[in-house]
Amino acid sequence: MSPYLAVGALIFISSLMFILPLVPSLVELRSKSDALPLNVVQQNAGEIRHFADSFRSYIRALEPTMRHCSVSGSMARDILPDGEECVVLGAVDETMVFSLQQQDSAYAVVIAAVIDLIVPAGVTFSKDIYARGQFKGGENNNYRAILGEKDVHLGPSSHVIRWVHAVGKFTADLGCRLHGRISSDSLIRLQADCSFLRLNAPRIEIGRATENGAAPSPNSSLRGSRRPRRFWYDGDFEVKAGQVIPSDIVVRGNLRIRSGARICGSVKSANNIVLEDAVLVEGSLISARKMRIGHRCAVHGPVVAERELALATGVRCGTFEHPTTVSAPSIEVSEDVVVFGTLWARERGQVVTNL
Amino acid sequence: MRKLLARRRRVRSDQAESVSRLHFRAMIYVLNIIVFAICVYTARHYWFTLNRLFGFQRHPYIDIDTADWPPVTVLVAAHNEEKVIANILEALMTVRYPADKILVIPVNDRSTDRTREIIDTFVENFPGRIRPFHRIGGKAGKAAALKDAMELVDTEVILIFDADYIPGAGLIKQLVAPFFDLEVGGVMGRVVPLNAGTNLLTRLLDLERAGGYQVDQQARMNLRLVPQHGGTVAGVRLSALREIGGWNENSLAEDTDLTYRLLLNGWKTVYQNRSECYEEVPEVWSVRVKQIMRWAKGHNQAMMTYGFRLLVGKHRATIRERIDGTLLLGVYAMAPITLVGWALALGVFYQGVAPLHGVIALLSLTAYAALGNLAAFFEIAAAARLDGTRKRISLLPFLILGFAVSIFSVSRAAVSQVTDLLTGAEFHWDKTERFRKVS
Repeated sequence: MSPYLAVGALIFISSLMFILPLVPSLVELRSKSDALPLNVVQQNAGEIRHFADSFRSYIRALEPTMRHCSVSGSMARDILPDGEECVVLGAVDETMVFSLQQQDSAYAVVIAAVIDLIVPAGVTFSKDIYARGQFKGGENNNYRAILGEKDVHLGPSSHVIRWVHAVGKFTADLGCRLHGRISSDSLIRLQADCSFLRLNAPRIEIGRATENGAAPSPNSSLRGSRRPRRFWYDGDFEVKAGQVIPSDIVVRGNLRIRSGARICGSVKSANNIVLEDAVLVEGSLISARKMRIGHRCAVHGPVVAERELALATGVRCGTFEHPTTVSAPSIEVSEDVVVFGTLWARERGQVVTNL
Repeated sequence: MRKLLARRRRVRSDQAESVSRLHFRAMIYVLNIIVFAICVYTARHYWFTLNRLFGFQRHPYIDIDTADWPPVTVLVAAHNEEKVIANILEALMTVRYPADKILVIPVNDRSTDRTREIIDTFVENFPGRIRPFHRIGGKAGKAAALKDAMELVDTEVILIFDADYIPGAGLIKQLVAPFFDLEVGGVMGRVVPLNAGTNLLTRLLDLERAGGYQVDQQARMNLRLVPQHGGTVAGVRLSALREIGGWNENSLAEDTDLTYRLLLNGWKTVYQNRSECYEEVPEVWSVRVKQIMRWAKGHNQAMMTYGFRLLVGKHRATIRERIDGTLLLGVYAMAPITLVGWALALGVFYQGVAPLHGVIALLSLTAYAALGNLAAFFEIAAAARLDGTRKRISLLPFLILGFAVSIFSVSRAAVSQVTDLLTGAEFHWDKTERFRKVS
């Protein structure tokens, strides 16, 4: 082989070996197949009613059919804009109820009811349900999503996979599993042994809320217009029983607040927090690890635990006028707890009988 | 006599040889220190990336969606921003935050274009919701402008945006939520390039930003280290700001300066990865070079000011915050150090000693030459994966181009900073050029 050819071949092969790994890059640079800006959640970030609002807009296409069924008291089948099949109920449909009463049956079309809807037990609804009247579900049902313009009630041991929104009250019987977002414009009530992830309503009641369990309310004379001073402690710290702290507290270690104490500001611990009974925190309560809130405590600001949170009976979080958020990856909550606003367990939320 | 001369010559030669050997040994020691430093940064990149891929992810405040929201002031820094100012003001007028609790203050810093006119139109259209601050003189720079604007601020929570950003409807609540935590003095959201697909540069910057925020910042948040305040898509607590002495108008990077002063005074800066906001990245290399040189100078200035105090001083930062904070301060200094390392490695090589001190040195050199770069690339690839984008990862090899431009620009900035210091020359503030069409 001629030396020129050999050098040329060497240069060619070297260039090829250099360029070869760049071929996908050059192709992508030219085709721009993944060049759009990252799709970030701009408008709906954190909006719990987003799915419900979208579904309401989506179902609006059925309005003429729903009006017709409502007037005639009949049932009709229709097709939604994306080709999805839908059943519109203007009256209780005996055939459907009969077919649904077969155990383990599944109903795979969207249901839009303009009447009160009572569904039998043991049915899986793999498509969304719209109820213009009251919605009452039987035992052991599985739902994908429900939008109720009035009250929504789920029977014992029901499962919700994605979301429920009730304009009226939402109630779930014993042992329901609520995997997605549950919201109501008035009240959410969960019975014992329910599990949940994200709940939002002006008032969330766990079990039966008693007025006897009412937590202490703030003494307005202690809350000046000026922001409280920040009290800082580097190790573990304990607030004595009945003590009134007129400032914010930041603790680098564990924090224990004894019974009947009152904190007129907010509380932060870089470790665990334990609130004994009847403690009042007028601001936020934030723990970088675990938190346990004792019987009849009241917290008015957001409650955040980065690991686990336990709420004992009689706890009140937020007020009707000033709703708040209670959040942790794992939450255990006793009966007779009331949260005004949001109760959000990112990984696991469970109603327990006693803590 | 001849013997004496020969002995002297031998002594001189021995001395020269020993001096040369001393220089050579010094070169090797310096090189080893540089290699060690690069290995530390490499390990740090891997630690962050692996934590982001497999570790516990901290987003403690993102779930706070219902609260008695505090009053908030939004400062929009604007210097000749006629191309973009309308977009951000429009966006801020439609955010989901109680209208009576949010006040927007566009900080019009000596603009000579139509910025003032556009702002005043918005003030007329949204009475009571925008309070303009038209600055017509004073010191140049964002920190100086923000400092002057503080006389209009009386809320405990302040959010800051640059004029080229477009906040989403839920962003304000997300950035305010961390302030319910008493330890939080500063908050930083995630920046996402809007003009990512324009050309090669914007695509590379898109990847770099993804690595920096999706992996670097979030890993620091996960590991309770020092997430950096970015000065935009960000917030600061008024009482914390007052405690640390307000905005530092002498700082070249007010965001880095703020991060460290907050840290030294016992305040945390937290990062909210899911609080994303679109920004515009430079579309031409000259603008990018100016931008990164300004960042480098500001960062180096903060390193000189706070580095020693952070590492060994008496304050509330934890040990891991001290170490990570110091490493973060040294990020831009690593570029000239790497160049010196390369020069030394070449010098040592041409002295005829390739392996230095055995296998370990050889491994270190190899790591420094290869893995140091790969670690950053690995981080960016992981970020793209976490973002769910796939094909843009194939642009990764081109990042070597961005890396080369950065390393020389940052080194140039460091050199000019030293010469400025010696000659007493003043820093000239280069505003980043905008590329959006006038709205």
